[in-house]
Amino acid sequence: MKDLKHFWQRAAWLRHLLIGVGVVLLYGWALRGLQVDLELLKTSAPYVADFVSRLFPPDWSVLDVAVKALVETVQMSLWGTTIGAILSMPIAVLSARNLAPRWIQLLANLLQNLVRSVPSIVLGLLFVAATGLGAPAGTLALSIYTIGYLAKFYQEAIESVDGRSLEALEVSGASWLQVAQYGILPQILPLSLGYTLYMFEYNIRAASVLGVVGAGGIGFELVSYIRGFEYPKATTMMLVLLVVVTAIDALSSHLRRRLEAK
Amino acid sequence: MQESSNPLAAIVCQNLQTAYLAALQRPILNRVNFTIQTGEFVALLGLNGAGKSTLLRSLVGLVPIYQGSVAIAGMPLSSRTLPQIRQKMGMLFQGGGLIPQLSAVDNVLCGRLGYLSSWRTLTGFSNRDRRHALELLDTLGLRELASQKTSRLSGGQQQRVAIARALIQSPKILLVDEPIAGLDVLATQQVMETLAQLNRDGITIVAVLHELAIAANYAGRAIVLNQGTVIHDGSPHQLSGHFQTQA
Repeated sequence: MKDLKHFWQRAAWLRHLLIGVGVVLLYGWALRGLQVDLELLKTSAPYVADFVSRLFPPDWSVLDVAVKALVETVQMSLWGTTIGAILSMPIAVLSARNLAPRWIQLLANLLQNLVRSVPSIVLGLLFVAATGLGAPAGTLALSIYTIGYLAKFYQEAIESVDGRSLEALEVSGASWLQVAQYGILPQILPLSLGYTLYMFEYNIRAASVLGVVGAGGIGFELVSYIRGFEYPKATTMMLVLLVVVTAIDALSSHLRRRLEAK
Repeated sequence: MQESSNPLAAIVCQNLQTAYLAALQRPILNRVNFTIQTGEFVALLGLNGAGKSTLLRSLVGLVPIYQGSVAIAGMPLSSRTLPQIRQKMGMLFQGGGLIPQLSAVDNVLCGRLGYLSSWRTLTGFSNRDRRHALELLDTLGLRELASQKTSRLSGGQQQRVAIARALIQSPKILLVDEPIAGLDVLATQQVMETLAQLNRDGITIVAVLHELAIAANYAGRAIVLNQGTVIHDGSPHQLSGHFQTQA
């Protein structure tokens, strides 16, 4: 038994080979589950080409509608992200290994998992039922959706804080609130603001999907045009969305880099 | 409040023992006894894992005491007396234990937190506190760097900011954990000279050190730990033979 263990420890090539075989088997198993029909893929190419050709040229007559819907999407994302970020902070504090007692951590983590496991579209349907069609439903859905992710990101930022710096404040007699204000907050702020900016950018895309269930934003117009076979108008919507998402991505990346450098 | 019978004793440890650690198959500190008088400069020496840092941490209530007792300036250490004891002591952590995103002066001001209510510090510190913090930085040769973020300071400068943070508490006793780890010769000399000056000003200093020559130069007494127990308590000179026999 000892010889076998010794051989296993020394035979790195065998370990790598077995890991490689394991990975191939895993991907093969997943592909089998997908039941991909290669013949169908080969014959479907003309249909895809036909669909894409009907998207062009874009119909710019709906540009004003697209811009208006997009402004609403950005507004939804801004408020949804902000409300979600505010609600995420206490949940993150209660989930953090270095701050909360074990039983509170478990409950807070359970709450996070619960929120994260509900798809945004389901949240959209839920709030449309509660507040009716339109942007308020989408904003509330985005707020809850944001908690699932930002609470986790904030929690990890809190857990990565240098423990010695907090102990130093504790030894100087600082209260829990003072440790949070002067020890934790300055250390997590740059990282957390970066995560929040990323979430804002992500929520613009998520808000577009929420429009599909009538929760406001550009997605609502987009789906209406596709359902009405007005593909060139749908293309205008997508192009406007592309421009704005790219611009916000560039701005947010720039701000994140500046925050990380601090 | 029960006071110790020795009015000159800054720190008294009697049969100090921390909890049993399965990985070591022993307590980290095992029946540690010593008395440090007010105004002494004591070097704590020992190999890695000997329990030096744990000993310092147990003196400020960061490591629970399983058995035995500790008295600081005549006051027995307990959860009830801990806030008062922490006001008498300052501690310098290995690497400084500073908040990297705060400026040097704000880090120094953090040493005042124990004296002010959470409500009071919610909006910051008074101008008087700020002036005092700047004076301390000036004394330590860091006036020009007061508004710099501590993450941008060198190791030696960070240690001096940490010293200023401890000094704003006006401590009677300063516990120092490896103050010169990773510092170059010049920074080492600056930090050790600062500690020596503080000792001359009357502050009792207990410093965890690794270099025997530094201990012999600056400390008046050495306590050597091995596997959680005191194996030498006395002169800081000619300890090298003692370490060779351990290795």
